[in-house]
Amino acid sequence: MSGYWLLIPEYLLLAGALVSLFGDLLPGGERSSAILGALAAFAAAAFAGFIGTAEPLFGGMLVFDPVSVFARVSLAALTSVYLLWSGGRGTGSERSHEATALVLLSAVGGMLMCGARDMVALFIAIELSTMPAYVLMGYRRDDDRGLEGTLKYFLLSMTTSLIMLYGFSFLFGITGVTGYAEMDLTGAGVLGVLATVFVFVGLLAKLSAAPFHYWAPDAYAGAPTSSVAFVSTVPKIAGTVAMIRLVEALSPGATQLPLLLSIVAVASMVLGNLAAYPQLDLRRLMAYSGIAHIGYVILAMATNTNTGLAAAVFYMVAYALPSMAVVMIAAEEGSAVEQLSGLVDRRPWTAWALVVFLLSLVGIPPMAGFFGKLYLFTAAFGAGYRALVVLAVLMSVVSAGYYLRIMREAFFGERVSTPAVERSIPATIALVLLVVATLGMGIAASPLLGYLGVSF
Amino acid sequence: MSVGPLHFMALAAVLFSLGLYGVLSRKSTIMTLMCLELMANAVNINLVAFSHYRTPALMTGQMFAVFSMVVSAAEIGLGLALVLAIYRLRKTVELDAMQELKG
Repeated sequence: MSGYWLLIPEYLLLAGALVSLFGDLLPGGERSSAILGALAAFAAAAFAGFIGTAEPLFGGMLVFDPVSVFARVSLAALTSVYLLWSGGRGTGSERSHEATALVLLSAVGGMLMCGARDMVALFIAIELSTMPAYVLMGYRRDDDRGLEGTLKYFLLSMTTSLIMLYGFSFLFGITGVTGYAEMDLTGAGVLGVLATVFVFVGLLAKLSAAPFHYWAPDAYAGAPTSSVAFVSTVPKIAGTVAMIRLVEALSPGATQLPLLLSIVAVASMVLGNLAAYPQLDLRRLMAYSGIAHIGYVILAMATNTNTGLAAAVFYMVAYALPSMAVVMIAAEEGSAVEQLSGLVDRRPWTAWALVVFLLSLVGIPPMAGFFGKLYLFTAAFGAGYRALVVLAVLMSVVSAGYYLRIMREAFFGERVSTPAVERSIPATIALVLLVVATLGMGIAASPLLGYLGVSF
Repeated sequence: MSVGPLHFMALAAVLFSLGLYGVLSRKSTIMTLMCLELMANAVNINLVAFSHYRTPALMTGQMFAVFSMVVSAAEIGLGLALVLAIYRLRKTVELDAMQELKG
């Protein structure tokens, strides 16, 4: 396949978004619009996998290499699982078909971001994926705290977007091109350094890495938990791929880049893990844990080797799966950690699924998280970041503390008899799929990394 | 005195710095949004000037500037909608009043 046919996954997502916008007219109403969206996203994932690697499109603006295919498939598949879950929940919140459309639009932006190898394409794709996210975060118009969190998210995100765009303008000015292929910063001097710093400040803020993370805990704690499950995971996969491509393109000219990235990595790992400890709200806890995980990913990016970059993408997906699932369970059970107490009595299967997800986040074999961390740390160690790897391993041990606290609450917490949320079949399927994926990705880690072009 | 690329870059830098300063210091959300617009315009000036001096035939920078204008207009629209929603609930849009969530 070639030409515009390569974008079939995006067309499917767009079509799904347009149809689900009119979801209240469909038979079955709000619920069927989400299920329809899930089907569209599933088809998009299947097509993205079927098309596979291909020739670049639009004169190199979009590339379809193994990294981009892997990220596109996992992004669409995660979107599909999320929509399946949200369609099955049936909380009956008004306008939920609009949320479905926004999720699909954000996924389109993410899919384009995975392939973008041009500043213009990247900028448009980033905005397409973040703008629906603002709306999803502030979805409840009558909720004071949610809107406050969204406003903080919006202002910081837009400021950093513009800083990134300012950096792009200098990159264009220095090199005279917008595509990464011909971009060469060698000998650009101070202006080149400035442009690189601007660009990465913007991207790091989108990924909520440490010195630019302030928006994340506030925005997540105020937002509807079901939106957090999407916004805190799926766009980050695309953001990681976008950043990897920029690291590849800019590092020949920007010699200080590894140093900058390792500083950010250390700050994110330490701050994220330590700040997650005292949190009582699961959304806030997951926000800080997300900052910590991004720290590991950036450590792998600092290596700027093929193994490191492939490990970064793999790890990001391995993080997104269980993290989305934990937030989903939080959305069903209540967002405070103590609301999970007695989960094993109410819903034993969910409690055991939660164990799988949390152990994967800690990095216990045979879950995806373990293999992600293994490859990531091996790559960083091989590139000479020994002290940082030791720190990262220590920090993952620290992280076990707060993940196990959630588990303890679910299994040994005070038995409170809160009425269990009725779980529908699609939502159950979604959680089962996430469990299978979390376990399966661990087992299939080696062939998947082989596909990404590296072997350990 | 002829006007060269450096003059445009200086103008853009001044506008951008003013905008960034405003975003960080203003108390009213509306003023913050206006300062964001200032930053967006600085970027556009940069892009168009670079396009004129670096790739006069290709118009790459002009195209980029057009895209950036459209996107920032959409973002400001979203921001104003957000501000309106907050104003309905709180009767204020001062950033100092946004203290309920503590990071």
